[in-house]
Amino acid sequence: MKISVYRYNPDTDTKPRMQDYEVKTFQGMMLRDALLEVKKQDESFSFRHSCGEGVCGSDGVNVNGRNVLACITPITELKEPIQVRPFPGRPVIRDLVVDMTQFYEQYRAVKPYLVRKDPLPEQEILQSPEERDKLDGLYECILCGCCSTACPSFWWNPEKFHGPAALLQSWRFLADSRDQATEERLDALDGPYKLFRCHSIMNCVEVCPKGLNPTRAIGKIKDLMLDKGV
Amino acid sequence: MQTTRPVFLDLWRIKLPIPAVVSILHRISGVLMLLAIPLAAILFHQALSGPAGFEQVAGILGFWLVKLILLILAWSLLHHLFAGIRYLLLDLGLGLDRPAARQSAWTALIAAVVVLVIGGVLAL
Amino acid sequence: MSRQASGLMAWVIQRATAVYLALFLSYLLIQLAFNAPVDHAALVAWVSHPVVALGLVLFVPLLLAHAWVGIRDVLLDYVHVLGLRIGLLTLFAFVFIASGLWAFKAIITAGLQG
Repeated sequence: MKISVYRYNPDTDTKPRMQDYEVKTFQGMMLRDALLEVKKQDESFSFRHSCGEGVCGSDGVNVNGRNVLACITPITELKEPIQVRPFPGRPVIRDLVVDMTQFYEQYRAVKPYLVRKDPLPEQEILQSPEERDKLDGLYECILCGCCSTACPSFWWNPEKFHGPAALLQSWRFLADSRDQATEERLDALDGPYKLFRCHSIMNCVEVCPKGLNPTRAIGKIKDLMLDKGV
Repeated sequence: MQTTRPVFLDLWRIKLPIPAVVSILHRISGVLMLLAIPLAAILFHQALSGPAGFEQVAGILGFWLVKLILLILAWSLLHHLFAGIRYLLLDLGLGLDRPAARQSAWTALIAAVVVLVIGGVLAL
Repeated sequence: MSRQASGLMAWVIQRATAVYLALFLSYLLIQLAFNAPVDHAALVAWVSHPVVALGLVLFVPLLLAHAWVGIRDVLLDYVHVLGLRIGLLTLFAFVFIASGLWAFKAIITAGLQG
């Protein structure tokens, strides 16, 4: 099987290029296995990966124009020639390794932790099963970045628009019965950029390897804003 | 952060799912129509100015190139209308799951063309 | 436009105006495709009909508000040079206001004739 990989070495290359490799396939082979095979043939090739089972979120790449986690993408699902490129819109450090700093900055900006104003109790803060259910479909995010780097609004304004991943987490804490910073969180999201660059393009929903739905979460944030503000 | 690093953003190499196609067409159709706003205002004013003005506007609108532009604007309006209804439904929380979003995108895309063709045939 | 108004309010205005525009433009499209006025007198009669005139008077500002939020979204996405963005926003604002006033003048003139 032929696999074409995006190559860029900052020390020697002025421009990125595509390089072809011939890789033997096997039953149950994932894209990550193919990249590891490339790495075996050519030690200079770099890509991030760790757990190999779609949990750590390290090996997000753009294959044939679509953002995926390489470790849970079967080779048989991909049309040949397979072309593997780094995440769109992110500065390339080397080969498939991109700089995700901006993505993490946007995550940090939504204060992804519980904020309590009441004095903390001695025991844990209890939640009813119904309250806990509201976090389903939100807490599962592994911050791989497939969604935000597939989002055109994030391509054009990565320093101003939070992007789908961070906004999903924003809703995750707004929806949490234990959090007490609803007003502050909503105030921080107003203005034309942070939340409202989302135009429901839904590329995030198309690519999320965990099947999560940032568009729905963003809609719920808007509903809550309307509820509190109008 | 200033960087000289390359960025992969070759739009023609990135797959556009059908909801994204509807989205960019929604935007393009909207821009086409708003560029026509001043022209529409001028023609509307001229047509109402008197019988001579009306005949002048009717003449302009009968020109084949203008007819082509009107056809593009009619598609723009229909696409913007159907895609717009889809967005309002999404805002109401309807059809947000991936299969439904794809289906409604196809529906909006096709409905605009179908209504344009049917309307065109009936009007001529 | 205050900071508060620039996010949520713009979004709400876009949706609220869309509902009216969808209804009125559907009517306009059908009217012009199948029952277009054949001469000046017919056009004046149509425009000066109270219901149509009221519909048009409401249509013009709502359309311009919708178009304004729309073009602003487009420019915020693609135009990152501040001076150019402000210049284009100003240009569109002027063109829209002029178009709206010109259309109003036409509607009022028709009303006086009809």
